[in-house]
Amino acid sequence: MSTEALTLNDVTIDLRQKRILENIHLDVAPGSFTCLLGPSGCGKTTLLRAIAGFTPLSRGDIRLGRRSITHLPPEKRQTAMVFQSYALWPHMSVGENLGYPLKLRGVPREERVRKVAAMLERMELGGFESRTVTQLSGGQRQRIALGRALIIDPPLLLLDEPLSNLDAAIRRSLRSELRRLQKSLGITTIMVTHDQEEALQMADQIVLMRGGHIVQVAPPQTLYHQPADLAAARFLGVDNTVTRQTSDPAMASAATTFGFRTRDALINAPQHPAMLTRKGRVTECVYTGDGYQVSLSTERAELCATSATPIAPGTFAVVQVPQSALIPFGPDDRHLPPLDRQEDIA
Amino acid sequence: MTTSPSPTYSMAMPGKRFPRISLGILLVLPALTAITLLYALPLLRSLVTAFRDNDGGWTTDHLVRAFSLYGRDVLFSIGVVSAALVLIAVISIAIAGYLVLGTTPWAVRFLRWLYRWPLFIPFVVSGQIARSFLSTNGMMNGVLIETGLMMSESAQSFLDWRGLVLTFAWKQIPFVTLLLAGAMAAIDRSHIEAARNMGASRLRCLFGIILPQAAPTLWVGLILSLVAMLSVLSVPMMLIAGNPTMMTSMMAHRITYYGDYGVANALGLFSYALTAVTAWIYLRLTLRREVAS
Repeated sequence: MSTEALTLNDVTIDLRQKRILENIHLDVAPGSFTCLLGPSGCGKTTLLRAIAGFTPLSRGDIRLGRRSITHLPPEKRQTAMVFQSYALWPHMSVGENLGYPLKLRGVPREERVRKVAAMLERMELGGFESRTVTQLSGGQRQRIALGRALIIDPPLLLLDEPLSNLDAAIRRSLRSELRRLQKSLGITTIMVTHDQEEALQMADQIVLMRGGHIVQVAPPQTLYHQPADLAAARFLGVDNTVTRQTSDPAMASAATTFGFRTRDALINAPQHPAMLTRKGRVTECVYTGDGYQVSLSTERAELCATSATPIAPGTFAVVQVPQSALIPFGPDDRHLPPLDRQEDIA
Repeated sequence: MTTSPSPTYSMAMPGKRFPRISLGILLVLPALTAITLLYALPLLRSLVTAFRDNDGGWTTDHLVRAFSLYGRDVLFSIGVVSAALVLIAVISIAIAGYLVLGTTPWAVRFLRWLYRWPLFIPFVVSGQIARSFLSTNGMMNGVLIETGLMMSESAQSFLDWRGLVLTFAWKQIPFVTLLLAGAMAAIDRSHIEAARNMGASRLRCLFGIILPQAAPTLWVGLILSLVAMLSVLSVPMMLIAGNPTMMTSMMAHRITYYGDYGVANALGLFSYALTAVTAWIYLRLTLRREVAS
């Protein structure tokens, strides 16, 4: 089956008289990797489940390629989903788990056996057919769940936080493995995650969600450098905000607030007029592996910055942030578009 | 630094071991006594009586007589109970399956509320209800004739093996459904969703994913139902007039009219044998589940 585009139009979902998702419009290009990113309770899993057919829509339309799948039951949608808990059936062996979707499609036994063996080879779990799923490690279960989804050659792959139950090292290696696999198969993929690092590393397009709405749809670089608003920026690791002062760099004239990441803020670097500068008293200094994270109490805000050397709490220090690392926000906390910045420079 | 004595060392000291064991026995004693006096001894006594003649000697006469007189009843009992078990299994799987997979919320709620009612009705009342429902002039025939679905001449009484099967099933279905629906509800929802996502219809999901996982509970429910049906006296007494009938009925008859405890106990032996086989399966299932968990 060839991979297909997914289109969501005005998707609205109510559960128990409560609006969970409102007015969701989204275009997913065929063969692309899209991440639904957002904090817990933002509706990202509900959106994924709605695409799979487990949550009915109150309004709107979901199209896979040209056909509408809005009113189809889950079994007729041909979407393959990998669940957060993997959902491997414990009464079946690994081979039976992988073969079940084929059995449902009436694939003859010999072909089933052959395809299962090929999929296990692909997942680097060759010869695991007769093992019980309870004997597998978390990473192996994850691969089997992925293999079970891919074995039917689906037009759309849905992943519900597939890596969240794994430890950090396996998660990192599976991230790139999953991405490689997706690229080689060219399958349209939608993944739910609350881990911004995961989304930034894996996605072609990130859909940032909050409170049942889409806040921003953008490629990772754009999302990282130009978050739609202050709350989105905070979710994406912009942990410092300062109110604009007259002495600050002359950029984005309409900006009232600047946001920046701790890693971009330098302590006691050589003074430079084009940098945003704040002075404050050091309240805490902790080692982070790459260097030291220094917390400062300035006149108007608590800031964090990085330093190569430890700084004793209680001493005064100067924080400087290069202009390129500053993210400007208007009075309504919205990000100021690049156009505005261009005008400013002109 | 001081080292504390290892537990194995203190256990090995005879002086310390004795009070620990006697305390354990003391704690178990009330339960053990109750089981011995209320279950084990009467059971043993009735087993022994089945092999004793009037003079106190050992004999197999009761067993031979019981089988020659009531062999048909034994087979009848097995037949009725098996048919009832099949009916119970089919209907409770259907109800529990709908409770788990149903997509019409009000229908699921209504069924969940409705199916439990027979649980609270004693066997004797069930027998009475069945009598007035299944007899020639009973409610079932009445409704069928009134609605024109059946001619009044073809009305027949269901107060035979069919009545027994239906009554036993009616009484036991809620019990088995209760257990089964609980086991099905305990299955991770994502297992069902994964199957549907892969293309399984709800029916295939029920038989391919849900039922295999809930099967041990179904077996337990059926075994407990079997024991209940084999021990009920009121229902066969009320529903069946002639022969053959259930073993319990014949045992009561033997004791009430002849004071013949020997044959009655020999009949009881067949019941024990039947339930013992199923109890063995039951224990194996529970043990296997405990080991697995």
